[in-house]
Amino acid sequence: MKAVGARIPRYDGVAHVTGRTVYVDDVRIQGTLWAKALRSPHHHAGITKLDTRPASELKGVHAVITHEDVPLNVYGHLSALGIPADEPLLAEDAVRYKGQPIALVAADDEETAARAVDAIEIEFEERPALLDVRKAFDPDAPRIHQWGNWYTHFEDEMDRRQIRKGDIDAAFAQADTIVQGVYRPAAIEHAPLETQVCQVVPEANGRLTIYSCTQALYFSMGVVAAHLGVPLNKLKFVGGTTGGGFGGKVDTATETMTSLLVLKSGKPVKWRWTREEEFLCSSTRAPWHMEIADAVTKDGWILGRRMLTLHDSGAYARFSPYGLTKHSFHHTGAYTIPNLAFDGYVVFTNRVPTTAMRGFGVTSVSFAVETHMNRVAEVLGIDPFEARLKNANRIGDTSPNGVVYTDPSTVPTIQAIATAIGHELKSDYRAMTNEPRNGEWLPEHLVAQIANPEEH
Amino acid sequence: MKIVVNGAVREIGSSPTTSLLFVLREELGVTGPKAGCQQGGCGACTVLVDGSPRRSCLLPVGYLDGAEITTVEGLGTPMSLAPVQQAFVHHYAAQCGFCTSGFLLAAQAYLDRGGTDDREAIIEALGGHVCRCTGYVKIIEAVAAAARGDTFDLTTTAPGKYTTVAGGAR
Repeated sequence: MKAVGARIPRYDGVAHVTGRTVYVDDVRIQGTLWAKALRSPHHHAGITKLDTRPASELKGVHAVITHEDVPLNVYGHLSALGIPADEPLLAEDAVRYKGQPIALVAADDEETAARAVDAIEIEFEERPALLDVRKAFDPDAPRIHQWGNWYTHFEDEMDRRQIRKGDIDAAFAQADTIVQGVYRPAAIEHAPLETQVCQVVPEANGRLTIYSCTQALYFSMGVVAAHLGVPLNKLKFVGGTTGGGFGGKVDTATETMTSLLVLKSGKPVKWRWTREEEFLCSSTRAPWHMEIADAVTKDGWILGRRMLTLHDSGAYARFSPYGLTKHSFHHTGAYTIPNLAFDGYVVFTNRVPTTAMRGFGVTSVSFAVETHMNRVAEVLGIDPFEARLKNANRIGDTSPNGVVYTDPSTVPTIQAIATAIGHELKSDYRAMTNEPRNGEWLPEHLVAQIANPEEH
Repeated sequence: MKIVVNGAVREIGSSPTTSLLFVLREELGVTGPKAGCQQGGCGACTVLVDGSPRRSCLLPVGYLDGAEITTVEGLGTPMSLAPVQQAFVHHYAAQCGFCTSGFLLAAQAYLDRGGTDDREAIIEALGGHVCRCTGYVKIIEAVAAAARGDTFDLTTTAPGKYTTVAGGAR
C-alpha cells in the first residue's frame, strides 16, 4: 500500500511536458491518405440522389464509400446487450441530424479530399425537423424515427424507464404541501483539444492496425468488428492516449469508416475532424427536461416524489437508454424518499446523438435534485442544510432501485460543506452520523423502506 | 527558404502560404505543437518565434525566413528538463497533455521577460490558451513556482490548494 495516500508523479508527466507523448495525430505512417466526410446540411431530409462518381474520378482520390460499402451498416452501440439497432454508419435514404455522415473520401491530401467531397452529387428533400423534446409527444409532431419519437425497447418492451416504490398516492395525500420544479440543463459539447481522430494501417498479415483516441478501446473494437463483419483478431487497436475525452470519445466516431476506406483503397488512411466538425456533429452531453413534484411535510420531510424526465437522445439511441437508467437510479440524489413514481423517456430529436459526459445521466439529475432541495427549503422556510441532513441517506436506507446503503456519505459531506462555508448547524444536526436511523430521525414514513445491510 | 527549429537550420520545401504548424508537423515531423482548432482559438499550436509566443496555425511560413522557432521539444529533454517543465510535472499541471506544449511555451516567454509569481499577470500571459481538463489552477501554480525559482522534486508532486489532509475528512 505504498501508493495509497502518497503523492506519486504522473507516469506520463515527463512525456507530456517534453512533447514526447504520441497522440494519434502524431503517429507517422508513410503514404497515409486523408479522409473527409460528406455530411448532411439539413436537420432532417430524404436523400433523393447520391452520385459519388464525380469524386471517384478526381486525380488523387483513392476510395469513396457510401452505405453500400458497409458489410453491416446498421449496428447499435448497445447491440451487444441485445438492444435493437437503429443507427446507420452511413446514411441510407434519409438523414436525421445536421452533420450526419453520408459518404467518405480518401485522397492524397486533405485539400484533395475536401474537393472530392464537394464533387459528390447529392440532392435532398427536406422534412420537418423536431428539435424540442417537449413537442415530441404532440399528435401533429413530425415522426422522425422508425420507432416513433421515443425509444420503446426497455425491459418487457416498455417505452419508458419506470420506477415505482412505496405508495405514492398515500404520500401525496398525507403531504402538508407539494413543491414543484422544472429543470432543463442544456446540451454541452465536450470540446476536447484533440478532435476526433484515427489512423488505420493495413498490415501485411491482413489485419488492420487502428490507432484510436477512444476512451473505450475494447468496446470500439467490438463495434468496428461488427460493422466490418470480421473477427476481433483481424483488428489491432492501439489506444490509451487521449487528448481529452470527457465522455465524448466513448462513442465510436471515426474508426469504422476509416477502416472501410483502408479496405477499399489498400492504403493507410487518417481521419482527423476539424474543430468545426467537432462542434457541429460530434456527440454532446444531452439536454434534459426534468419535472419534479415532491410531497413534503411542513418540518421538511420528503414523503414522496413524482418525476418525469425527457432525455434528448438526438437522432439515434446510442447509449441513451443506459444513461437514462443511471439517471433513474439516482433521481432521489443523496437522499432517501420512500414513495416514488418516476417515468423517464429517451426522446428522439433531429439533433446530434447525445452521449456520456462526466457522470452520464447523473449530473443532470444531481443538478435538478440539489436545486429542488433548495426550493423545498425555501418554500417551507427551513434551513436547506437541515432539509438535506434530515432526508440524507443513512445505513440501511434503500435507493430508488432497491440498493441498500451500507456506508452512505451524505451526512459527513453536508456537515463538511457547512463547516467549510461557516454555516452554523444546530447541535442535533452537528451530532448526526450515517448510522442507522433511530429516534427523531426515524419518522413513521421511513420505517418500511429500511433493510438490514448485513443481509446485503 | 530556411527556418531555425530548436537550433537546427531546416530547409523548407512547402509553399510560402503553408502554415508554420503544417510545416513543423507534416514536413519536419516536429509534433509537439498540436492542431487543436487551426483557427487561432485554442493555443495548442503555440511556438516561440524569435522568443515571442505565436499561433503557428495562423502563421504563413513565407514570413519566417531565417526566424528562430522554439517548440516544446526545444525547451528541454526528459533527462534535462527546463525549470518550467519541471514545474509542470511537480505541480501536476498536465492532465491529458494536449494543451501542455502551448501552455509551456507561453509560460517560458512570460518567464523570459521577467514575469513574477503574480497570479493576475500569469493569467494574463496564459489567457489565450484553453485547457478542457480544467487544469488552470495547477497550471497557474506551476508557472508561479517556476517564476519564484523553486526547486522541484520530481519523485513526488506538490500538494494542491484543495488537497485533503489525511484524517481531515473521512
